[in-house]
Amino acid sequence: MRRVLAFLSVLLALALAFPLTVTDDLGRTVTLKAPPKRIVTMLPSVTETVCALGACDRIVATDDYSDWPESVKRLPKAGGLYNPNPELIVSLKPDLVLVSKYGRLYETLERAGLTVYAVRTETYEDIFKTVRALGRLLGLSSEAERLVAQIQKEVYGEEARAAKAKGRPRVYYEIDPTPYTVGPESFIGVLIAKARGVNIVPKELGLFPKISPEFVLEKNPEVIVATYPGALETIRKRPGWDRIAAVRQGRICVYTGGEDNLLSRPGPRVAQGLRLLVDCFHRP
Amino acid sequence: MTLALPLALRRSLVFAWLLLLLLLALVLGVALGAVALSPGEVVRALLGWEENPIVTQLRLPRVLGGMLVGAALGVAGAAFQGLFRNPLADPYLMGSASGAAFAVTLFAALLGGLSPAFAQHAVFQHLPLSATFFGFLGALLATLLTLVLAGGVARTHELVLAGVVVGSVLTGATTYLMMQDADRVRAVFAYTLGNLAFLGWPSVRALALIFLLALPPLLLLGRALNALQLGEETARSLGLPLEALKLTLLLSASLLTAGAVAQAGIIGFVGLVAPHALRRLLGEDYRLLLPASALGGAVLLALADLLARTLTRPAELPVGVVTTLLGGPFFLYLMWRRRGWA
Repeated sequence: MRRVLAFLSVLLALALAFPLTVTDDLGRTVTLKAPPKRIVTMLPSVTETVCALGACDRIVATDDYSDWPESVKRLPKAGGLYNPNPELIVSLKPDLVLVSKYGRLYETLERAGLTVYAVRTETYEDIFKTVRALGRLLGLSSEAERLVAQIQKEVYGEEARAAKAKGRPRVYYEIDPTPYTVGPESFIGVLIAKARGVNIVPKELGLFPKISPEFVLEKNPEVIVATYPGALETIRKRPGWDRIAAVRQGRICVYTGGEDNLLSRPGPRVAQGLRLLVDCFHRP
Repeated sequence: MTLALPLALRRSLVFAWLLLLLLLALVLGVALGAVALSPGEVVRALLGWEENPIVTQLRLPRVLGGMLVGAALGVAGAAFQGLFRNPLADPYLMGSASGAAFAVTLFAALLGGLSPAFAQHAVFQHLPLSATFFGFLGALLATLLTLVLAGGVARTHELVLAGVVVGSVLTGATTYLMMQDADRVRAVFAYTLGNLAFLGWPSVRALALIFLLALPPLLLLGRALNALQLGEETARSLGLPLEALKLTLLLSASLLTAGAVAQAGIIGFVGLVAPHALRRLLGEDYRLLLPASALGGAVLLALADLLARTLTRPAELPVGVVTTLLGGPFFLYLMWRRRGWA
């Protein structure tokens, strides 16, 4: 009897929650008449979050880069940030499209009469904000709270593991061979700090600075992390870089082929990315 | 003021200035950088008394390599302007640089087995010397295509239009290839804005080799270029083997362009601005204009890179942004001066 009552109260809550009016990350007002059943997600981290909330079966299409969980690989692919395919999206008749706050895709889709919610997922805090916002949109608020707690628990687990390590290595993190790196206030920068590494880049340089090679040489990092193919050879071959402690001691961690996504996507798998960094920084 | 001086003296002065500026760019380039080093430290490192890879492995080859890239673009620009008798001709406007960039990118994509992860090869890695050869073919073919489309050298307007079209199409194709690696769009943009960050001694050696091959014929052809400025008929009546001359010029300038693009990406305005500025000071004598444009291009790019790596240190600006921001207004100034005097 109690179960039935609980079930009914959930239904009631759902019925009262919708129509739902919310403000998205562009400050637009979005109204949903009922919990969405046909969702297009145009951001890999958002796809992951929707699935982690248990609503993977409601997704009818994703962007080109969404590749987790495995089941979304079979869905229609509607392009990326630079080359979206609005015609495909419209043809699928979704009742909610989740897009990046960057790009003007939302305008096109709105003109086509679709309900569009723009998401910003850039920082560590954005992960939890996005989980809660999507939970509300999908009528899965209690699942969202559970997911937030679970992600936080996993993250604390990794942080505790890192706290046991003796040292705090100086870290240089290279996202591409130009070389571009990450500032301490970027998402990856926050993960580096949580994994008990010391980023050699000062925060004054911003989120993704193009760094001077001689600065890296002077800071002499003990660990280098790179997330593009061929990084190991590239970094070893650079003029003068054979003097850097990380290169001399072979402490260059290269993450590609999916692992890099754990580190670059602020999403529900953040603790797995953090685990990679903890393992890399505090190798026994 | 210098206009009042005798011509010979004025020309010597220009060259003296260029050499002085080059020396200054070299000294400043090695002395300044993201890491603050005292003059004593720099000198001791250069003399080999003290090991300092920042000076010997990073700064010195970067400054020298940047000078060679700038010199290549400057002298190629002057050669193109003389060859096409068109003040707007430069490696970029003639489609030559775009051809080189496309060929180098295609080469890198082929190296990567057309995998999307081609950035590992293309974007400021140590491309093998064969990449320069590919770039050379691309530059040459693009220039020839421009010539064919324009219906010959003589038609100035058609030449510029055809060059712009060929350049745009090839740039579009290059961008398409690069966008296949969307995860690394940042690196791709960096390539199209030029990057001297990892010019090491191997790059300096490669560029020096290209100079040894391409510069002597260009310098020897100064007199022929002068004759060409009087028109093809006149030049032919002087008994010059025109077709062979034009081909030699084209090959040499394309090789220099390709060397620069393969080592440093796409850097605009150097090939346009250096010859223009010097033409105002030296006149239309290509015997002087070609070597002076090499020196001028070297000074220009070395100073631009100095700004690129010190203005926001320890971060860097793309050097192409600096050359464009400096070169654009300077070019407008030259145009304005000319109009003011006309």
